[in-house]
Amino acid sequence: MLRLRQNLVPYGFLLPYLLIFLLFWAYPLVRSLFDSFDDSRILGFSFSTTNWTRLLSDPFFMTALKNTLLIMVIQVPIMLMMSLTLAIALNSQMLKLKGFYRFAFFAPLVVGTTAYSAIFRLIFNTQYGAVNQGLNSIGLPSVDWLNQATPAMIVIMLAMTWRWMGYNAIIMLAGLQSIGNEVYEAAAIDGANKWTTFWKITLPLMRPSILFTLVLSVFGTLQLYTEPALITAGGPGNATMTIGTYLYQQGFRSFNFGYASAIAYGVAILGAVVSWIQLKLLGSDNT
Amino acid sequence: MKKTVLFSMALVAGSALAAPKGEITVWSWDVAAKALEATIPSFNKKYPDVKVKVVDLGNQNVYDRGLAGCAAGGADLPDVYSVENGEAEVFWARFPNCFVDLTTLGASKYINAFPAFKWTELSVGNKRYAMPWDSGPVVMFYRRDLYKQAGVSAASIKTWDDFIKAGQKVNAKFGGKVKMGVVANGQDDEWFRMLANQNGCFYFDNDAESVTINKAGCVDALNTIKKLYDAKVVQTGDWGGQITAFKKGDIATSMFGAWYEGTIRSNAPELSGKWGVFPMPAAKKGGVRAANLGGSALALPASSKNKEAAYAFIEHALATNEGQVAMLKQYGLVPSLLASAKDPYVNQGQKYWGNQKVWKTILDTLGDVPAARGTQFFQEARQVMVVTQADFISGKYKTAKEALDAAAKQISSITGLPIAK
Repeated sequence: MLRLRQNLVPYGFLLPYLLIFLLFWAYPLVRSLFDSFDDSRILGFSFSTTNWTRLLSDPFFMTALKNTLLIMVIQVPIMLMMSLTLAIALNSQMLKLKGFYRFAFFAPLVVGTTAYSAIFRLIFNTQYGAVNQGLNSIGLPSVDWLNQATPAMIVIMLAMTWRWMGYNAIIMLAGLQSIGNEVYEAAAIDGANKWTTFWKITLPLMRPSILFTLVLSVFGTLQLYTEPALITAGGPGNATMTIGTYLYQQGFRSFNFGYASAIAYGVAILGAVVSWIQLKLLGSDNT
Repeated sequence: MKKTVLFSMALVAGSALAAPKGEITVWSWDVAAKALEATIPSFNKKYPDVKVKVVDLGNQNVYDRGLAGCAAGGADLPDVYSVENGEAEVFWARFPNCFVDLTTLGASKYINAFPAFKWTELSVGNKRYAMPWDSGPVVMFYRRDLYKQAGVSAASIKTWDDFIKAGQKVNAKFGGKVKMGVVANGQDDEWFRMLANQNGCFYFDNDAESVTINKAGCVDALNTIKKLYDAKVVQTGDWGGQITAFKKGDIATSMFGAWYEGTIRSNAPELSGKWGVFPMPAAKKGGVRAANLGGSALALPASSKNKEAAYAFIEHALATNEGQVAMLKQYGLVPSLLASAKDPYVNQGQKYWGNQKVWKTILDTLGDVPAARGTQFFQEARQVMVVTQADFISGKYKTAKEALDAAAKQISSITGLPIAK
């Protein structure tokens, strides 16, 4: 009897979490799968596969997917390279005021997303924005940033880079600082120059932290919603619509929860595929 | 103690007969919210015990939060809810119990007080889920002084071709700094809807049974927008951008539903006397010079704790001349209450508009507006059209017909409605 009670103790501790997990994670997961087979044009539940067939032939979904992948392929690598450069600079012996720089590059993350999106809207305004004023002052023509497809996409990528570059740099910096000095001393004795040291020692030893930032950025991009929703509203047209904003549009604006659930599961499948590729390419060790 | 209990019981018993009291919350947007606030003083004369709080959430937010509230079984909804006619049907179709059927509160006596077309999108069978508020007859708001400087007379602009010619004169005079309008290209398809409606065409037919967006009237509308862009007489901008543009004098014309009168007047009081109004240019000589954009209604969420007070407010604001004319005077909302059109105020010259009798000009177009219906798929069709228009303007399609055929196909696959033959 006593033993049984003792065995139950850990479960007792887990119970509050398990209840919350069931209610707010497990139930929505199952429920949205169920919803994705509901024809939401008809009141009440009616089983149909229309949401899934629509997903495969929906030009808007394809656009959203294309935009999301475009950001993943262009913005994420560029940002991570910048973060790496920044991390190495912040780690340099020669740098004064290190604490200030670390704070400065991490600060964008502390700003509220809504506020920073509003600021980006303002500085990229065609007629009155600071960016165009700056371009004009050095003799370049204005760009209609938010009303043209490619510039609008560039604004989104810039905004995300501004916000996340410092954060990733700080993670990499932690990885950089965990590399022991003795490794570098040994390299110096062997006569390796700075460049060789970086390629042969620093980069391989930083792999875990670089991988970590890569995984975070890739999944962050898959779920990207805030910036395109608040800076460009997915526009102009659908030029900056991501899977996240399209899902919101379908779910909460057109009230097609069945279809929105199908989109969500589409993203989940995509995420699983991306994870699998990452594991295959980079190996599952030390991630 | 006993006394207070008795006293409060007496209150409860009395409230069914006494006048409504308590506090009600109203959700609305921009000028519409301010207009509703303008009806509160006269409302409080009749109902001194009701405190009305109007919240301005912005147009898209009212819609989004309203749908979310209905989905949550009526949580987080106000007592009085503003809804655009064009997008109203999705509420009644998906959430038949989210709003009160106003006939149960005595709205039946107002059925003939409003034009029939205003009720179409607010009714399901004999149920009436919202009361008509304003309509949006489309007109051109123009800057008399800028037209004069460019040597353009508003009276000579009878067709869209005339409008482009006038725009070229304005371009020549101001070196391209002043445009003839702001198109929310890529953000919205308002221009397309106004021009299509003028040509008697819309996303769907009036029975909400088929997709009609690729019919001739819509093709012509889309072509006209392209022509305006090709002639460089319009600029691109959103709602806020257009307000900035007319305040700065960067545009000589604004085309919008008549409710925009209040937006111009309240945002640019310094331009008083410089503005005028003329009817929309027609597609071809002698054609229709009228369309409707927007127009709204007030609904009463079933979750309201104070339905009597909420209904009293709706009734006073929309079904009395006092309420409707107060909103017209202060914020330029065009009453759809038939009796209001006969109000002496309508026939007065307006100081801000250079003493022009603008309300007469505007209300005179109402009879020419071709009927159009948003249907429950309005938002989805609009999203497709916003993209199609932007793509066509940027040269993705060879012809407007090709663009609209693609749009029709997509809308048809989304809604399950066939493309009209």
